[in-house]
Amino acid sequence: MGSSTTAGAPNRSTRTVRRSRLSDLVDSERSLGYLLVAPVVLLLLVLVAYPFFVAIGYALSDRTLADPGVFVGLENFVLLWESSIYRQTVRNTFIFTAGSVAIRLVLGVGLALLLNESFRFRRAVRAAILLPWIVPTVLGTMAWLWMFNPNFSVLNYILVQSGLMEHGFNWLTDPDLALFSVLLVNAWRGVPFMAITVLAGLQAIPHDLYDASAIDGAGKFQRFRYVTLPLVMPVLLTALVLSIIWTFSDFGIVYGLTKGGPMNATHVLATLSYQTGLASGNIGEGAAISLTMLPVLLVLIIWQLRRIRRSTVA
Amino acid sequence: MTQDRSQAHVSRRKLLAGAAAAPALSLATPSIAQGTLKGTKLTILAGQWYVPQTNTMLDQLAADLARDSGMEIRVERFAGDELMTKTASVIGTGRGADLAVGVEFDTYVYAAKLNDVTDLADEVGKNYGGWMDAAKAASMVGGRWKSLPIGQAPAAWNWRTDMFRAAGVDKFPDTFAGLLDAAKKLHAKGTPIGMTLGHASGDGRSTNYPVLWAFGGKEFEADGRTVAINSPGTLAAVEWYKEIYQYFIPGTTAWLDPDNNQAFLASKVSATVNVNTIYLASRAAAATDAARKNIVDNMDHANWPSGPAGRFANYNINVWLPFASSPNKAGQREFLKAWYSRTFLPKWTKVGQSYFIPQLAGFDSEDVWPEDPKLKIFRDLNKINRLPGYGGPPTPVAAEAVNKYILVDMFAKACTGQLTPRDAVAWAEKEYQQIARRRSRT
Repeated sequence: MGSSTTAGAPNRSTRTVRRSRLSDLVDSERSLGYLLVAPVVLLLLVLVAYPFFVAIGYALSDRTLADPGVFVGLENFVLLWESSIYRQTVRNTFIFTAGSVAIRLVLGVGLALLLNESFRFRRAVRAAILLPWIVPTVLGTMAWLWMFNPNFSVLNYILVQSGLMEHGFNWLTDPDLALFSVLLVNAWRGVPFMAITVLAGLQAIPHDLYDASAIDGAGKFQRFRYVTLPLVMPVLLTALVLSIIWTFSDFGIVYGLTKGGPMNATHVLATLSYQTGLASGNIGEGAAISLTMLPVLLVLIIWQLRRIRRSTVA
Repeated sequence: MTQDRSQAHVSRRKLLAGAAAAPALSLATPSIAQGTLKGTKLTILAGQWYVPQTNTMLDQLAADLARDSGMEIRVERFAGDELMTKTASVIGTGRGADLAVGVEFDTYVYAAKLNDVTDLADEVGKNYGGWMDAAKAASMVGGRWKSLPIGQAPAAWNWRTDMFRAAGVDKFPDTFAGLLDAAKKLHAKGTPIGMTLGHASGDGRSTNYPVLWAFGGKEFEADGRTVAINSPGTLAAVEWYKEIYQYFIPGTTAWLDPDNNQAFLASKVSATVNVNTIYLASRAAAATDAARKNIVDNMDHANWPSGPAGRFANYNINVWLPFASSPNKAGQREFLKAWYSRTFLPKWTKVGQSYFIPQLAGFDSEDVWPEDPKLKIFRDLNKINRLPGYGGPPTPVAAEAVNKYILVDMFAKACTGQLTPRDAVAWAEKEYQQIARRRSRT
């Protein structure tokens, strides 16, 4: 069957073919998927991937703020290890991350279990729990700075006035306690995220499983161990990995409270990178310090992606 | 004390008329290229100086110059470290501003990206009796002026005369041995002193570098690269510091910039090193706040004690950074001429109440000093500034050492017993050498 056309008028069959191709594209799940993620991929490429590769280039050069520098290979990374400040910073970062994440895990899971129970004003409590997470970092840090102040600490005031202590703690003065203090503030900030994420996982567990285990004679601890924990583990691990990544690269809390002091006892890789790269203009070395975090974070991300893939395939 | 805001409102037309009798130097009545700057733009990056009137005068100068020249002038203000980050961004991208307020290190770090303003600097120096050594050190690279010094904010010993008297000390000690002795007595009376040993970007350096130099220590040799920190002078400074530290108020190793102000204003310390902001803040509130009036009535400022190698101080020097990437170099120069003109700079300096003082030798005999007798010492303090990096210039190597608080931590490690004085000096030497070696390529 032929089609008739009128000169100058749109070809009906062409329009029909075009519309059909477009609707094929939209109807095809695969093509539609690519189409929908394209804007996000573009943003990631421009705002994440590009700066990342530029940073690698900087780390392999002796670039400063005013001088593009030359390629020096891995020299920045090798020379960094000669600095005791850098070695101390790497140690601090691991302790800071491990300590903060451990506190978040214990308190976050505990909080989630509590919030999963029924009690009065549960909704309001759940909302209030989020406050440390949603308050701007700088604001929260300023409040803690006052609470830890060497001369005006309200915490020490309470301890001394109540007769529990004679002098109070050197929260930010003693090097070890200072690291604990910044770690504590970081944990305080991150517990709500852990709690709410784990809570979501808990809420997805079917109640029948608890009923069945109760019928089988399982106690509370056994129900937690054999029912709750295995089923909430995927969500928990996801929250854990994200917490590790965010804590490892934390900057604001440490910079706001101590600027890496006293005597570099609280310096983490992000603050040292800022101090070296931006404050001192040594861009190459600053980038190298930042990229120290990469191997650790890469291992975590790959492990997480493989775990997600395995669970998707299963 | 409140300032009459009309004093701060500087109209260039009025001032130009009043300056008709002044010598016919180009900076007395700066020429404005009428018409040639019309339609051009000038963007200036600045922070917030502590004395509000100094900011107001900058804004007014920009407005007057814009009106007279036809330029569109915008002053963008940033808080704290944001200004440094924004400046770095302009340097890195080559766009975004024509001028910025920086510090002495910026001249060296950005030298290749700044305009040569030697002719302007020579003219300013001729007009005001010559530049001081610290000014030249802050702005000259390779014999050329790459920035123009705005001024330095001298830090003095802020001390409580009533507390010192109660401890049996009638005047502020003029030697380091005297200061140690006074610290013991004040500590026994429950009114200790405090010196900042934390990572405070301002007070950290202004408190600790003078101690090093007074005992004959220095960071570098004249070439600015050979590390010279490990010396008998440095060791003597560290040992003095360790001795006096036991008489400090607890917590000084955690002090950031606001902490010594807060401790002094709360009468928890009897002396600390700071610019005149403690006094100015108290004076401003004294009329309505009895506690602040008490501070004003019972505090004073004193010079640094003199050590075996002399009397020194260390202050941050603000400079004007003229970006080489600026598309409006003529506008840049007109603004700088206006800033350093006789009709502006002396008035701006006086309004600052010795908060920011240009390092111009002739200012010693100009009417730029405050009437308040408790601020008179700043005239002397203006003359003894040295910059970090001494015995060399304030190079990027010195800048990195300052930004990493190497010197501050050296003192802190010895004071807290983390290291012995000798080991603390050795630690600092190693860190300085690391930085010098890493930076030797640039």
